[in-house]
Amino acid sequence: MPLLLHGLTPIHWALAGAVIAAVTATMLLVANRRLGISTGLEDICSLVLDQPYLRRSAVTSGRPWRLPFLAGLVLGGFLSALLGGGWSPTWVLGRLDATVGLGHTGKMAWMFAGGLFIGVGTRMANGCTSGHGIFGNSNLETPSMVASACFMTAGIVTTQVLYRVVLG
Amino acid sequence: MTILYIVLGTVFGFTLSRSGAADYDYVQGMFLFERFQLYGILATGVIFAAPALWLIKRRGRTLAGTPIHIELKALNRGTVVGSLLFGVGWSLTGMCPGPILVNIGEGKVYALAALAGALTGAALFGRAYERLQKPLGLPPLSKPQKVAA
Repeated sequence: MPLLLHGLTPIHWALAGAVIAAVTATMLLVANRRLGISTGLEDICSLVLDQPYLRRSAVTSGRPWRLPFLAGLVLGGFLSALLGGGWSPTWVLGRLDATVGLGHTGKMAWMFAGGLFIGVGTRMANGCTSGHGIFGNSNLETPSMVASACFMTAGIVTTQVLYRVVLG
Repeated sequence: MTILYIVLGTVFGFTLSRSGAADYDYVQGMFLFERFQLYGILATGVIFAAPALWLIKRRGRTLAGTPIHIELKALNRGTVVGSLLFGVGWSLTGMCPGPILVNIGEGKVYALAALAGALTGAALFGRAYERLQKPLGLPPLSKPQKVAA
């Protein structure tokens, strides 16, 4: 199945996994940091909001690396589009377009609502697919195994209900 | 070091972009058990990272010689409830936090709304932290610090 991005053929999963592992290991070996992306959400919030939660040391101590890393993620996506056929704004949403067919406003509302779940959920669980799913599981941490089982289960149930029941 | 973090983030983001990890259809295909791709990525990520982290911990020091320190995460009711909520959001948007930023870079306009939602959610959770602390069994906040600009 081609990617939504320019219909490109995806790279092999083992290669992607190897790169993700290499970045994770480099962050620890060179920078003494455990890779985790969702704490960066708080880091962005803490730029404008003054809450004790957002200013706790676990967030502020990561300031030197989190924001540059997040900027790199945006840059990586930009370069991927640019080198893969050119960069241009797009609203393409694959399966959701083929079933629900939301307009621009509808897509923004849908994504904002989903984003709320991501923001509240990853902060409440203190991690996401990277900090729990990759780093935590690789480091054999029990909380991460519990978290991974929960977010995979919730994702499976939600998508199955959406595409096999509601839209099925 | 800032350059290193930007480069690592770029490599990570490019890989997420080109592997399907930041692709709405591949995420749904994973949750529908129609596509192995993202299960393969998560599994190989852990399979390769586990021995690497073990070796680094056994070495005990960073390349520059600083003792390795890994901040561990707590296990509480928030781990379960939060992860369930996150899974719903991952399914709805087709993005976990990294891919939100990757999709913004790719030019997918709606990813900006997902980021706005995620930031709003993080801030709302921060405001509610003290009220949720007891019911979810969350740890007390570490001492707030002045943010170094």
